[in-house]
Amino acid sequence: MSTHDPTQPEYRAQHLRDRLAHEDVAELGVRVELRGPTVLVWGPVSSPDCRERILRIAGQVLDPLEWRHDLTVVSARPPDREEDLR
Amino acid sequence: MIRVAAVGDIHLAPGAEGTLRPAFETLGDHADLLLLAGDLTRHGTPQEAAVVAGEVAGLPVPVVAVLGNHDHHADRPQEVTAVLAAAGVTVLEGQAVVLDLDGTTVGVAGAKGFGGGYAGRCGSDFGEPEMKAFMRHSRTCADGLRRALGDLAQAGTGLRIALTHYSPVPDTLAGEPPEIHPFLGSYLLAEAIDEVGADLAVHGHAHLGTEHGITAGGVRVRNVAMPVIDRAYAVYHLTPRPRPEEPPP
Repeated sequence: MSTHDPTQPEYRAQHLRDRLAHEDVAELGVRVELRGPTVLVWGPVSSPDCRERILRIAGQVLDPLEWRHDLTVVSARPPDREEDLR
Repeated sequence: MIRVAAVGDIHLAPGAEGTLRPAFETLGDHADLLLLAGDLTRHGTPQEAAVVAGEVAGLPVPVVAVLGNHDHHADRPQEVTAVLAAAGVTVLEGQAVVLDLDGTTVGVAGAKGFGGGYAGRCGSDFGEPEMKAFMRHSRTCADGLRRALGDLAQAGTGLRIALTHYSPVPDTLAGEPPEIHPFLGSYLLAEAIDEVGADLAVHGHAHLGTEHGITAGGVRVRNVAMPVIDRAYAVYHLTPRPRPEEPPP
């Protein structure tokens, strides 16, 4: 009979998604994906502070698994173009 | 020509004061109204709503909003709505507002919407009470949008815009995992939009989606989630067109 291994990357990745949704950062838009044995954490976030908090939580949940991140901070600049829908 | 500014998923909370205000101060140069497509806060608390209110209070254009799922998380949507309304924001849920912008009447019909999925790949109002409640909420939201659009059709506004948080079409979800599409929107919203007709449909919610889509009936759909448009707001130029005769109510 197989037993539950809490270190399985699949479960860790889902635990990270759950933590990101339930902790103060409330981030549901970040992708957490498996590429072979590596966990990728990527997507756009609202602020540099949000990015740092997500990376801190990811470290707590994913270490010592191998993981990589590519979190980008969304721009709050005014638009430099418009779309004509006529 | 009417210039419509729109953004969703700004996810503000204490500590983020002033993030969007500098860009919003430029709205008078770019737009005639601002639409907020839900998820204005992180957890839906009045304190977070106050941060949103501070960003949009006293802007030179009218502001019309719907709430999103984040704005419901604390189970205090009425308080969030009240805080925004006190700052001059018109918050819609199954309702419409008519704005007179330099002699052109612009109608905005708003509803949060909900999940459920898209035609051929959606849930059914069947089985456990929880599943039935899920699908019924989706239908209730879409019915509210349909009624609000119908009110605008009766009023004969020059432009008609559908504003939701959840997506009416899967087109603008491209980039999101297909497995979660049933949590990102519902075809019932598109069906309501096509039934009454609209010049534009605006939504948020899908951070990893794409901006451009269209309903089966030919209504342009734009996903204005801030992570998608990657700026403080997007701007769309619309021109009122003569309409074919409206169907009888």
